[in-house]
Amino acid sequence: MVVDHETPSLENGQTDKEVEENANVLQFMDSMDAYLTLIHSLSSTLRRGWLELASARHSMGASRVNTVLLDHTSHPAATSLLVTQDEGKVDSGKPHFTLCKWESSSNENSLLGEKQSSQDKLHPQLRHRGSTELYEEKTSSDNKASREVDDPVQKERSKSLSMFGTLVSPKLRAAQLSFEAALETLVEIANMRSEMLCAFDQVNMKLEGRKDEK
Amino acid sequence: MYGFEAMTFNIHGGYLEAIVRGHRAGLLTAADYNNLCQCETLDDIKMHLSATEYGPYLQNEPSPLHTTTIVEKCTLKLVDEYKHMLCQATEPLSTFLEYITYGHMIDNVVLIVTGTLHERDVQELLEKCHPLGMFDSIATLAVAQNMRELYRLVLVDTPLAPYFSECITSEDLDDMNIEIMRNTLYKAYLEDFYKFCQKLGGATAEIMSDLLAFEADRRAVNITINSIGTELTRDDRRKLYSNFGLLYPYGHEELAVCEDIDQVRAAMEKYPPYQSIFSRLSYGESQMLDKAFYEEEVKRLCLAFEQQFHYGVFFAYMRLREQEIRNLMWISECVAQNQKSRVHDSVVFIF
Repeated sequence: MVVDHETPSLENGQTDKEVEENANVLQFMDSMDAYLTLIHSLSSTLRRGWLELASARHSMGASRVNTVLLDHTSHPAATSLLVTQDEGKVDSGKPHFTLCKWESSSNENSLLGEKQSSQDKLHPQLRHRGSTELYEEKTSSDNKASREVDDPVQKERSKSLSMFGTLVSPKLRAAQLSFEAALETLVEIANMRSEMLCAFDQVNMKLEGRKDEK
Repeated sequence: MYGFEAMTFNIHGGYLEAIVRGHRAGLLTAADYNNLCQCETLDDIKMHLSATEYGPYLQNEPSPLHTTTIVEKCTLKLVDEYKHMLCQATEPLSTFLEYITYGHMIDNVVLIVTGTLHERDVQELLEKCHPLGMFDSIATLAVAQNMRELYRLVLVDTPLAPYFSECITSEDLDDMNIEIMRNTLYKAYLEDFYKFCQKLGGATAEIMSDLLAFEADRRAVNITINSIGTELTRDDRRKLYSNFGLLYPYGHEELAVCEDIDQVRAAMEKYPPYQSIFSRLSYGESQMLDKAFYEEEVKRLCLAFEQQFHYGVFFAYMRLREQEIRNLMWISECVAQNQKSRVHDSVVFIF
């Protein structure tokens, strides 16, 4: 019996190629699903924030929660956005966005913020593939570190809210947290969009490669 | 036992008491609120309000309406009614009516000072001031650098001058000092108003003592809750509480050391009138506390109309109108933000 070794290897090559294409398509669909979920989450967070702001105005009075109290003096930004090229992939051209919250506090705190956002990128809250145990261990160690930075962060939050007065209603603080969460979600959306477009490019490239072969 | 107010009150106060009771009849009812809560747009709200006493104030407003426009026009109506009563009033009712506006005056002073600190245009700030709290030299507040200048340049000629004795320092005006100034002024104002009502005596003293004591107690609770987690020390917190009210002095001692809402609840539940308020809230919750206090306040204000021949009806009417304007503001915000399911979170029915 003659064994045709060429046909199995050709089949294996095509199978590998198909597996890779399927993985790219799956990655694209995953990232699109996560993107749409984040958009929906942003919309509901913003709705909550706006209503909480209205509730704070109702509680404290219109003279205390007012656009004319916004600070026009020049002061450093409490939060900034860092844009880098994605590490680990050569010539990927994919930008990565990192939110540096409460920058006027210590550097350690801002680095922890970057670490947390990169953790969120690896293990998005809404859906992730991989080991859940590893994710839970990393989350618990981050929680311990995050408690240590709470006080300086809380001070920065109070400082940015002080334009409305030092003794503000808990409803205004809740509104601040909602808009803060919305800002974090926006950065996640930007990163997810970048991933989605990259995955789309990969899928597109494979499809065009197939057409050329035919 | 009251004096013989029934024999002499109507000589000077009868006309205005009749006016204010007529105004009271124009307050929105539960049926009005139900209609308003079902509106889909702010123009619908305008249409429903056109059938009320607010109609003439809103009819010329062009679409699209904003929630701030509705609040401004409704406030204008209140200001017109107040000014009519003030110009018809004789002493001591005219002084009593002026006392009602000093709280807004304090808010306006703090708004101008804070806005100036944030390098905002004075004209912009004046447009946002409450009309009931305006006075002639209010724009000059922008030039003051510290509280001493604030007093010397502007406030010495205003009714707020006597309240400044406790906060005149040469310290620069910053956010914390301004907040302490606001609360110190308001404390002094409430105590002064209380003493004035006590001097008037009779039904006015009795009814206003109850209403002002409730106001002082509510402020104490709000100051406590708002200062949790801030840099305000316990001693500074205690200094901001008024020296009268049901909570004075032992309740204040407990509130001064509270570190969370549950400790505030524990301190307040020892007082039966406030036990009923806190019993409506779940543990750890403070979101509905405002509404619970407003409901209690409205109940007390409505009771003021059950007696005749006293000035408490004027205070009660002004406060009920302000509550009505707050209700309209909340309903408008919920309609504008398409969150009608939350409209009953903060609406307090008056009747």
